[in-house]
Amino acid sequence: MTYVIGVDTGGTFTDAFLADETGRVMAAKTSSTPPDFARGFLTAIGDLAAALGVPAEQMLAQTSYIVHGTTSTLNAIVTGDVAPVGFLTTRGHADSIAIMNLEGRYAGLGSDQVQHMARTNKPAPLVPRHRIVEIDERVDYKGEVIVRLDQDGVRAAVRGLLADGVEAIAVSMLWSFRNPAHERRIREIIHEEAPGLYVALSSDVSPRIREYARSATTILNTQVGPRLRQYLVPLEAELRGLGFAGSLLVMQGSGGCVSAADAPGHAITTIGSVLTGGVVGCTQMAGALGHRHVISTDMGGTTFLAGLVLDGQPVMSASTVLNQYTISTPMVDVHTVGAGGGAIAWVDPGGNLRVGPRSAGALPGPACYDEGGTEPTVTDVDVVLGIVNPDHFLGGRKKLSPERAAEAIRVRIAEPLGLSVEDAAAAVYAIQNAQTADVVRKVVVNSGQDPRDFVLYSFGGAGPVHAASYAADLGVAGVLVPLGATAAVFSAYGLAASDIVLVAEISSPANFPLPPQEIQLAFDGLEKELRERLAAQRLEFAEVSFVREIDMRYTMQMAEVATPVPDGELTEEIVAGLGRAFEDRYEQLYGPGSGFADAGLQVITYRLRAVGQLPIRPQLPAPPAGGGMPPARSTREVFLDVRRRWQPTRIYHYADLGTGHELSGPAVVEAPTTTVAIPEGCQARVDHLGNLVISYS
Amino acid sequence: MPIIPVAGSERFATSPKTTAELRESVTGVRLHDIPPAAVADLDPLTYEVVRHRLTAITEEMGDALKRMSGSVVVTDCNDFGTAIFDEGGDSVQVGLVNTQLAASLDMAVKWTLENRAGNPGIGPGDMFFCNDPWVGGGLHQNDASIFAPLFYDGELFAWTGAACHQVDLGGVSPGSWSVAGRDVFWESTPVPPVKMVEAGTLRSDIEDLYLRRSRVPKLIALDLRAKIGANHVAQDRLRRLIDKYGPTAVKAVMRHMMTDAESRLRGKLRALPDGTWSSVAHQDGARAGDRAIYKIVCQMTKRADRLTFDFTGTDPQVEGFANCTFAGLRGGIMPIVLTMLCGDIQWAPGGLLRCLDIISEPGTINNCTFPAGIGKGSVASAWATQNAVSECVAEMLATDPEQAKSLMSVGCGTWDLALLAGVDQRGGGFVTMICDSMAGGLGARVDQDGVDTGGLNCIPMGRVADVEINEFSFPILYLWRREEADSGGPGRFRGGLGGSSCFIPHDSPIGGVHLVVSATGKALPQAPGLSGGYPAGTQYDVLTRGTSTRYSFAGGRIPATLDELGGDRQVMPNHAETDMGPDDVYYTHWQGGGGYGDPLLRAPDLVAADVRAGRVSAGAASGVYGVVLAGHGTVDEDATSQHRTQLRRERAGVA
Amino acid sequence: MKIDDNTVIGENGTVSCAHCAAVLGESVAQPLARALRRERPPADAGPGVRADPATYTDRPLVLRQLFCPQCLVLLATEIAPADEPSFRHWSVTR
Repeated sequence: MTYVIGVDTGGTFTDAFLADETGRVMAAKTSSTPPDFARGFLTAIGDLAAALGVPAEQMLAQTSYIVHGTTSTLNAIVTGDVAPVGFLTTRGHADSIAIMNLEGRYAGLGSDQVQHMARTNKPAPLVPRHRIVEIDERVDYKGEVIVRLDQDGVRAAVRGLLADGVEAIAVSMLWSFRNPAHERRIREIIHEEAPGLYVALSSDVSPRIREYARSATTILNTQVGPRLRQYLVPLEAELRGLGFAGSLLVMQGSGGCVSAADAPGHAITTIGSVLTGGVVGCTQMAGALGHRHVISTDMGGTTFLAGLVLDGQPVMSASTVLNQYTISTPMVDVHTVGAGGGAIAWVDPGGNLRVGPRSAGALPGPACYDEGGTEPTVTDVDVVLGIVNPDHFLGGRKKLSPERAAEAIRVRIAEPLGLSVEDAAAAVYAIQNAQTADVVRKVVVNSGQDPRDFVLYSFGGAGPVHAASYAADLGVAGVLVPLGATAAVFSAYGLAASDIVLVAEISSPANFPLPPQEIQLAFDGLEKELRERLAAQRLEFAEVSFVREIDMRYTMQMAEVATPVPDGELTEEIVAGLGRAFEDRYEQLYGPGSGFADAGLQVITYRLRAVGQLPIRPQLPAPPAGGGMPPARSTREVFLDVRRRWQPTRIYHYADLGTGHELSGPAVVEAPTTTVAIPEGCQARVDHLGNLVISYS
Repeated sequence: MPIIPVAGSERFATSPKTTAELRESVTGVRLHDIPPAAVADLDPLTYEVVRHRLTAITEEMGDALKRMSGSVVVTDCNDFGTAIFDEGGDSVQVGLVNTQLAASLDMAVKWTLENRAGNPGIGPGDMFFCNDPWVGGGLHQNDASIFAPLFYDGELFAWTGAACHQVDLGGVSPGSWSVAGRDVFWESTPVPPVKMVEAGTLRSDIEDLYLRRSRVPKLIALDLRAKIGANHVAQDRLRRLIDKYGPTAVKAVMRHMMTDAESRLRGKLRALPDGTWSSVAHQDGARAGDRAIYKIVCQMTKRADRLTFDFTGTDPQVEGFANCTFAGLRGGIMPIVLTMLCGDIQWAPGGLLRCLDIISEPGTINNCTFPAGIGKGSVASAWATQNAVSECVAEMLATDPEQAKSLMSVGCGTWDLALLAGVDQRGGGFVTMICDSMAGGLGARVDQDGVDTGGLNCIPMGRVADVEINEFSFPILYLWRREEADSGGPGRFRGGLGGSSCFIPHDSPIGGVHLVVSATGKALPQAPGLSGGYPAGTQYDVLTRGTSTRYSFAGGRIPATLDELGGDRQVMPNHAETDMGPDDVYYTHWQGGGGYGDPLLRAPDLVAADVRAGRVSAGAASGVYGVVLAGHGTVDEDATSQHRTQLRRERAGVA
Repeated sequence: MKIDDNTVIGENGTVSCAHCAAVLGESVAQPLARALRRERPPADAGPGVRADPATYTDRPLVLRQLFCPQCLVLLATEIAPADEPSFRHWSVTR
């Protein structure tokens, strides 16, 4: 018996998922244990073993690999609990990370915050001034050395930083991605002075043009790398002590994982790991079900996350914003909006009804939690409308107070607007859905796609309560709610189902077209780098595949569009074809006629993605067969539709549903971790993996 | 030589009319209307959903424009504006970027309705181009706007518009900033609204007429398509919105958005004390060789819920390129109204403008008549107007503890222009502005310092291109780009720092680059402080000829100060045009933000921290802030107390 | 009522120093009539004034400041042409 395990350590919960080759799966959920997240991890492992009915040592001895998604790097950056680091950069450019290209003052902020200009600020400096040292050296845009490296200056700088107690040193010199020689020599000198010190070179971490993001990325990498190493090494040792002989893998924002030994060197790529698990889970599920295009949505208490799967692959983004810093690491493109179940409904000074962006958070939480919250939230509205059963929330573990919910709505919304409590709640429900639809639409459309080509997958506690309603506004082909064995731990399932994914890139800006040999040379270099890293993972791969792409743009334009490059030998015709492919993609994104070839094209960055397919793919079990209409447990009045208002609605329990069951709206399906609302006009069917598939008639 | 008036030019410089007024006068096109009851009948749900969608559409326009454009000022610096208007050109929603443009696009739409509805007519699929700042659409000829009517069921339902700065549209100097110019005939020819797209087809004849004037027509063409594309995006989304909710409901939401913004602003004004606040903004030099100083005077009066901006006392228009039109004056008021008064109010200028009155004499420097020179208007007199307005509004807000949190002292007082032209490393011709000076210091606030290199007041989402992007695109090499100590105005709270860039030509096939310099604020600072706070530092630009930079490079050193450059130092006047040779180095130091409050009241620990971080020099720490530092840069409390007592007397001239 | 960082206005329209309560002005029209006034060369504003103004202009410039007569707190600062009156004033009614 061979197992694969996924463990997803979130801020609140640690989820674990196990699968064996026969299709048997187990799930476990336990509270996370910050700051020592390893405790919760090991508890979850223990819970899995208990669910299997075997000792943990036996389970681990038969586990091929454990994929770990950890929020610790993201948490560290967000809370500022990071290693003290030193930063070496080219003389004259220490202020680059302070100037932040200006955008640091507002990056990632919502428009209402940006509007209030006097209240915006740049984030705290990444590195205090006294730990930044400028070095005399200079490389130009061609990669030519204009000023040789001042090695004595480097040595003196390093000694000073070490005396100041830095745990790591980040190095980012201008144009280092063109010519990394100076950065590499600097690393040598640092290791002469302090062998084994954590050093990150910008030419390794993010060899891409645009020095501000590259420097910020390299520094952040240095801040979380040593701590990640300090977390993973003892964790792995404990697992080994328990008899684990397989591989400990760490999830990255790329949608794949790397070995725990490799992860700290590229720690910055793990910041997206908790966000991407869901998208990867959707990718796997979509593959199993034959859905080509999927919108992955995860609505929890505070946040709403949306990502896209296109042609079976997660849509990636070359950069992301964290704490108002721009990080140039290719990651699965997950859009985060503060619009979850805890979003607060309020009336603004103009007398207009608004929903969000403020959230009630965990404490005091929605009014219906009866923990002191007086502001009405989306969850309160869901209760008052009868969609969420106050006695069965979280499988009955938390009792909700519909009276408190109604009171909050009455005082804060209904009375000021002269509406009944139900009408106020209905309005909030509809506004929340419209805003969510707007966010999702923007994500889809900005990728040059049409929502009608997508199936929307909805998970997270609050997602399925709203999905069918807001998705109707989008015109998607259908909505899928994972409710089978994976439901509670969907992200952990995604982890267990992932592969090793490594991405390497290098900027080499040049006018297009250019000789095929030059392009080939760039990709050869990237492939060599990736093959070495793949080998260093010390894993058996079922298959290794490479995907090439080039970021291209019209001359002088900001937006670079990633253009796929076909496998095989590159000829002049194929290169010319890249230009046409870029222009087609450009028009798809920005409209016909929006491109103007006379302005000239440029290639900016080459990117190679290597996927090392892991030999085991978790099979999801089929639930018991059902057929026709399932038995309803009860009926109650539910308000799901502004026009139809209160309707008697059949209530189903998920435990009673099996493959092939069909039901039609108005209906509500109650499951241990969520509630699914099915409005009138919708049909729902349980598929062979236990998912509830909702379609519109 | 005085500016000779041109008869007939008055018809391009009208004051904008409201939608209600235009409905009476416009013939040749049917303007959509709704009964007043439709607004009252609007339910909160529909209002919020449609309002949210309209805001999203304006953002999408900006996204589209930014991605399609070829102008570094748009793509890398976010210098563009987008807006949605009602049928009569009242602005319903403006985007978050260039707020100056938000106050001039509506003027162009209204002028077009009044003057083009008959001939050549306004029909579905049409789009108009305008870069005539007397008409509107922008504040100087570089601001090129494309705006389009949206027809629904045969009626003109709404307008959409996008504008952005084009790097060169002709004129004597590259970049269209004619530093030696005396009137508008030295500059890019202003083009009043012309039908660029007719019934969905871009007219090649009009396009050629437009591109022919530019030194970089290919880039201008790309931007033209970007603006047309942005309008298409907006109109497509709007059409779907109207299809779903019906024209009456959507129009009712538009009306309510403006009325709501208006009543919210009136409410804010009513809660403030009545009063009058006056200020002045100075500009040194209106063209190359001009050593005069000009003033814009602003007296702002608030009575009940109305604000009046009276510019009586402002200097007459001048020979040079620093004048601005009425659009520029409005474009100086709007950014402050939006960012300081409407931080928490919908940005619907159509409603907000109803709360404001403007008193200004045509023929003054910020309300000039044709053919006064305006090539620099947007960053000269319009910006100076903004500075004066900023002071007045901030002082009014200071009286209210809650509203005071929205105020800032004046930020970077002008645009520091460094425009380069020549041949790039790949042999192509180029013209570009170095936009590093976007990184101006923002003014201090009542409870905290101004943001260092925080940006410009009129562009809430501005951006600076990376050094590497500039070095890739243009034949220059940066010696440095940094924040500058002491450039933030001292105060109890310090103004944000400005910064400097210093570069040398590198790999230019012709050995050097052509340079156009234009920056005021050198004779006197343009970002004053408030409540005793000092102004930010002055602008300071230096061209050093025949430096020893390459020798330093060969010796393994990068010069880090002007002194280390060697060579022959020339302090740049306000405006100049010259050529940089291969060993010439240009240093440009742009402005910071003004301070707030008495610097002798600044917490000594903060001063010490500023010195440690290189934001304030030791000299200023002692001489202006009165702080005495001990070992390790910490505060000597007793010495500081004594020094401050003494300084208090000295600076007041008391024995 | 607070006017700014340094001044408050009383019920009767008297303007006082917020730090030491000294009366700065007694009428709405002349709110700072009693403040001390001093004019100095702009260079006295500190190193932020980067160059001699005579480099750029022929007009004389001045650093003008107003102080509380009692505690000497700095009430207002401007750098302006010396041959111009100050255009910066305010008058507030309740």
